[in-house]
Amino acid sequence: MLILISCLLFFLTSLILVGLRIFRPEARYTWLVAVGGAMLGFVSVFLWLVQLPLNIALPGIPTLDAFNSSLIFTADGISFPFALSIAALTLSILLTAVTQPVYVNTSVWAGTLALGGAGILAVTSNNPLTLLLLWAALDLTELIIHLSSVDGASNNEKVVISFSTRAFGIGFLLWGSMTSIAEANTFEFQSMSASAGIFLVIASGLRLGVLPLHLPYAPESNLRRGFGTALRLISAASSLILLGRIPVGILTSSLTPILISLTLIAAIYAGWTWLRAPDELNGRPHWVIGIASLAILSALSGNPIGAVAWGCALILVGGTLFLASAQNIRLNRIMLLGVLGISALPFSLTASAWLGNLSFFIPFAIIAQALLMAGFIRHTLRSTNRDTLDNQPAWMQAVYPSGIILLILIQFLLGFIGWDGAMQIGAWLQAIIASLLTFGLVWASRRFRIFNPVRAHWVSTTESRLNNLYQGLWSLYRFFGRVSQIVTKTLEGEGGIMWTLLFLVLFVALITQAAS
Amino acid sequence: MSAPILWIAIPFIAGILIFLISSERFSATAGGAISAILALIALFIPIDVALLLGTISIKISPAIQFFGRSFELNTADGFLLAIIYGLASLWFFGTEASATQSRFVSFGLMIVALLTASIAVEPFLYAALLLEVATMLVIPLLVPPYQKPAQGVVRFLTYQTLAMPFILFSGWMLTGVEASPSDLSTTLQAGVMLGLGFAFLFAVFPLYNWIPMMMEETPPYATGFLLWALPTFTTIFALGFLDRYTWLRNSTQLMSAIQFAGLFMVASGGLFAALQRHFGRILAYAAIAQTGLILLIFGLQTTQMVNLVFLTLIPRGLELAIWALALSILKREAFSLQFSDLQGVARKYPVATASLVFAHLSIAGFPLLAGFPSRLSIWQSLTNDLSILFWIFVGMFGLLIAAFRTLAVFVMTDESGWKLNESWVQVTMLAVGVSGLFILGLFPQILQSLLINAPTLFEHLSQ
Repeated sequence: MLILISCLLFFLTSLILVGLRIFRPEARYTWLVAVGGAMLGFVSVFLWLVQLPLNIALPGIPTLDAFNSSLIFTADGISFPFALSIAALTLSILLTAVTQPVYVNTSVWAGTLALGGAGILAVTSNNPLTLLLLWAALDLTELIIHLSSVDGASNNEKVVISFSTRAFGIGFLLWGSMTSIAEANTFEFQSMSASAGIFLVIASGLRLGVLPLHLPYAPESNLRRGFGTALRLISAASSLILLGRIPVGILTSSLTPILISLTLIAAIYAGWTWLRAPDELNGRPHWVIGIASLAILSALSGNPIGAVAWGCALILVGGTLFLASAQNIRLNRIMLLGVLGISALPFSLTASAWLGNLSFFIPFAIIAQALLMAGFIRHTLRSTNRDTLDNQPAWMQAVYPSGIILLILIQFLLGFIGWDGAMQIGAWLQAIIASLLTFGLVWASRRFRIFNPVRAHWVSTTESRLNNLYQGLWSLYRFFGRVSQIVTKTLEGEGGIMWTLLFLVLFVALITQAAS
Repeated sequence: MSAPILWIAIPFIAGILIFLISSERFSATAGGAISAILALIALFIPIDVALLLGTISIKISPAIQFFGRSFELNTADGFLLAIIYGLASLWFFGTEASATQSRFVSFGLMIVALLTASIAVEPFLYAALLLEVATMLVIPLLVPPYQKPAQGVVRFLTYQTLAMPFILFSGWMLTGVEASPSDLSTTLQAGVMLGLGFAFLFAVFPLYNWIPMMMEETPPYATGFLLWALPTFTTIFALGFLDRYTWLRNSTQLMSAIQFAGLFMVASGGLFAALQRHFGRILAYAAIAQTGLILLIFGLQTTQMVNLVFLTLIPRGLELAIWALALSILKREAFSLQFSDLQGVARKYPVATASLVFAHLSIAGFPLLAGFPSRLSIWQSLTNDLSILFWIFVGMFGLLIAAFRTLAVFVMTDESGWKLNESWVQVTMLAVGVSGLFILGLFPQILQSLLINAPTLFEHLSQ
């Protein structure tokens, strides 16, 4: 029940904000209501710790077979850190929004809160049916928001492509579930069959843009900082939770090495483009792909807890950087602590990241991790485009940094309590190598031109080789289009009836032959 | 009052009267209201059960004799009539919004009445004749007066007419099969005849080419209605056959053939839909894929077959109505349904385009929408044969690609800003329809309560 209470707190506050927007558009306490609701929601998620694990089953889609099709939500060592990260991110977005005008932003805050509630529901879902319903809800929401906020034919097309790749991810989850029913007679994550596990990884990878490598993210709209961050990170978290739910030891398929190789390519590529991105917001899709790739690597190495750790880092460490819109030297220094969250050092958030078996792939994983860490440091220290808080009242100057610091605090806290990956020493040697490599990259990035940031408009067009691949697929599609036209013209033309009857006779002959 | 008079004669006569009045707004309201009232009566007043209202006793008698033939609608038919007339009222209320000619309602009512007669008539083989009469009434619905019928319409009439002799002939042979079930050659001949008859009626591959042709040549709303009404009643007619003849139900070869035909329709319908550049043709192939799904359910040989069929048929009516209405609105804007003529139209007609995409996604089985619960049940029932399931997924994948292409064409424009060019009637109709898609997708339990009597309609199939 506590799970539903937390989500209801977010949804209810969102509704109150919508009411205020309509009936009291000039109310000056709107931000306080938003922050109050988010704070209560955040505290209520903390309270889960008292009763973990929590389970709740709601009547779902009554299918005609005996399979359990209830909507199951579970708060446990896997979903709790995700839920806490999402609640913290939602609160953080609202705290850092203190400097924004009330009227314009009330609906954006309401949307952020609703998204937070939906995100918590998604990460607590504990069977494929629940997860795919929530994925569909999040995808449709994202589609509508993006289509209403971007302009231009090309940008609109990208929004549709982004939606379609996610929908195909849903398709893979469904196929995985059906395979599991066929082999193990179950529709639950806990007892998934081995072949189903691979489909779940592909589903997650497809939604995150890792398998195959592509940018599933629609072009950024004007809601880049607050709501844009929530949308991007919560949506990614809802896909990553699937990796945490895959039972240990079932991903030992012959496909696994291929998937690891593809994921490593995606991780290194995303790490490199993140390091060279002109600013943190333009590089955000690459950050998501990079960290998501590391999460998938953890899952493929038989370490779902590592995937959870990377997922939380994606939200908490990324959120710190993407929400910082104001210039403050002391805050920038504090933000640098965020890099510890993705260092995999002992007792850090990602300490459990490399506990799986990646064998000879591990050096490449370390390189990808170091690229992402170096990129984080670089973007934290490059704060040229940020506003200043000097003209704001003192209380605002105090509230604003608290939003950023909250994310860093939660990141440290999760290193010690609340879930299966807490209090881990982890693979400390790999973590130290990654850290040393990071320092080397940061040092080199100031001295060698190759590390210079690329211009903003290059960021989305650098995948020329990938574009060639997709052009190839497009040509194949057109070829099939021509074939279908020939068939259609034959059957619908003047002699169509004759052709149809001929086909019918063939069809009947085939069937009777098969039957005999 | 007898049930056949109430649900067959009255709507048929109402159809004739509406045709004579010929006022667009009146006909839509009258047709919609009559159908809605008939649906409510079917839902709340059981047939052949006396109801006391104070001192007055009301009873709807189940049967009537007409030229030596009996028309019979029993208590179990109540839910079926409620569904049929409920969905028909939705189509008729949408007539004004779609700006379809007023005679759509009059002919539509007559067609629904005739098709209802086809499920009530005894001996039930006469249903084939009634289906043929309904088919002929479709012609004035689709072809404006004094105009030459398009090629698709001619082909439709040809194939549907070819179905009738096959069905009648197989019916005659079936009596022989019942008398001597051990006569394998008669059984095989009867099976082939019946199969061919239903192949024409269901428009299985390759007999479905009239559907995309017609969607290209005739008004989308009227054709959409046809694509809802005919397969729905043909399905009920086919269920009647399966329920009546034990050897049909138990014939594994026939069931395999039905399943194979259905699978081919799902896969080919989905793949062809993905490759079209005409919005009407996409709807046509989606409807074909859906009919294929119904055939697949026939082949499942499960006791849940009847429930599964209706769980698929009810959302289909809603999906096709929304899709066809949205297409009609867009066709008025561009006079064509080619991709090139409707590019970027979402900015001008956001409600129509969004509704169309939601209806399409629902047919493709996208979660949260009305089509998903039935698809999930079908997929779960087919997990014992992953190769069949794979081809179903291929078909659904094709439909999804078609939906994404549709969406991309609608939104790809350099214009900025949104305008609402739909009338309030259109917005209301589409909004109600799309809400229905989400409600049925999220709370399919609503349908289950309606379907509680479905197994009693086809007792043998549910055992």
